Amino acid sequence: MNHDFSKLPEIFDRYSRNPESLIAVLQDIQQEYHYLPCEALQETAKNLSVPLSKVFSVSTFYNAFSLTPRGKKIIRICKGTACHIRGAYQLQHQFETMLGIKAGETSKDLKYTLEVVNCVGACAMAPVVIVDEKYHGSVDVSNVKRLIKRG
Amino acid sequence: MIKFTINGKLVQADQGDMLLTVIRREGIDVPSQCHHQAVEPSGACRLCMVEITRQEWDGWSKFVTSCLYPVEDGLMVTTHSAKVIQLRKTIIDLYLARHPNSTEIMRLASEYGVTRTTYETVADGDDCIMCGLCTRICAHMGFSAISTVGRGHDKEIAPPLKEAPTDCTGCLSCANNCPTNFIEFTRDSNSLTIWGRTFETLACSQCGKTTITRDFAEHLSKTRDIPIAYFEVCDDCHRKETAKTMGRVVNWTREVQA
Repeated sequence: MNHDFSKLPEIFDRYSRNPESLIAVLQDIQQEYHYLPCEALQETAKNLSVPLSKVFSVSTFYNAFSLTPRGKKIIRICKGTACHIRGAYQLQHQFETMLGIKAGETSKDLKYTLEVVNCVGACAMAPVVIVDEKYHGSVDVSNVKRLIKRG
Repeated sequence: MIKFTINGKLVQADQGDMLLTVIRREGIDVPSQCHHQAVEPSGACRLCMVEITRQEWDGWSKFVTSCLYPVEDGLMVTTHSAKVIQLRKTIIDLYLARHPNSTEIMRLASEYGVTRTTYETVADGDDCIMCGLCTRICAHMGFSAISTVGRGHDKEIAPPLKEAPTDCTGCLSCANNCPTNFIEFTRDSNSLTIWGRTFETLACSQCGKTTITRDFAEHLSKTRDIPIAYFEVCDDCHRKETAKTMGRVVNWTREVQA
């Protein structure tokens, strides 16, 4: 995949160029490209004086980082205990059918990524679906279409 | 100087020494898989656990990984109490379930009288105990070519991007120090393959025996300021050379003295 990597120096300039800035830099790269492109990892290693193996180790450790492209819109279905009891499974099934992808996958047009997460701490409004960073409570199957379209 | 006791015996150590170092110095056998004196301890394998207490703890004690615990004045260390043995047995039990085919784990288990695991055996369990010694040694060598990748069940040791590592020189420090001999490499007459990368090896100009890889020789030559030709002679031939030179010196000394 071809990317415009001209933004990388600007990201590096936001922090001091040392190993301590690694996670902050990776977070910004993730935000910019929706994943961590291989070239960006190599540039990060060079610019922060961190071995590439360390950069790879950190980026595979945290769930917040992805090494494969992710969709523009990220839909997270909570499957904590409360959400599970109040129908998260049916929601997941509905999302998977409508988007044509399984949980953990990204649609081919890179528009959507569907994820299943554990408790997000909003059990009172179960079942919860998070679209990008917005929380939606008491979601039922009939809301799924609207959530996919508008978020 | 720090004074404390190990199994009731009074010992002395320097400030900053780790318990395991002193225990081993006293000739006491405490098992450990992830420890290597050349690199920083990490406490990954948990086998070097010992029981510690102090006079003022009123009979309370705690368990610590001795490789990571700095010596303290007045500490009372027990390396083989019933509780410690039980703890080590549990750890070995877990290792045995996860690495049923590892000869090193089996050796340890028989030493501690663990005959079979009480957990469900991981049928396709490999021999990597995730101690991370290889990554620490690789970093210490100045390469950092491999690291832990992923986490939880899927954690493994791999080169970056799981591709042939560009920073590796084929020095074999990782494979030679792996406690369970898990890291594999293959040798050919003039090449060596490890981590999916093949390296050219040098041959001894005198006896033809394979020495180290060209990449490693070049690295040593650059960082230690040793001419590359030095690595084109194997250790045995170097020794022969030295013996010859020494012989000549001895003869010459005799002649001068006579």
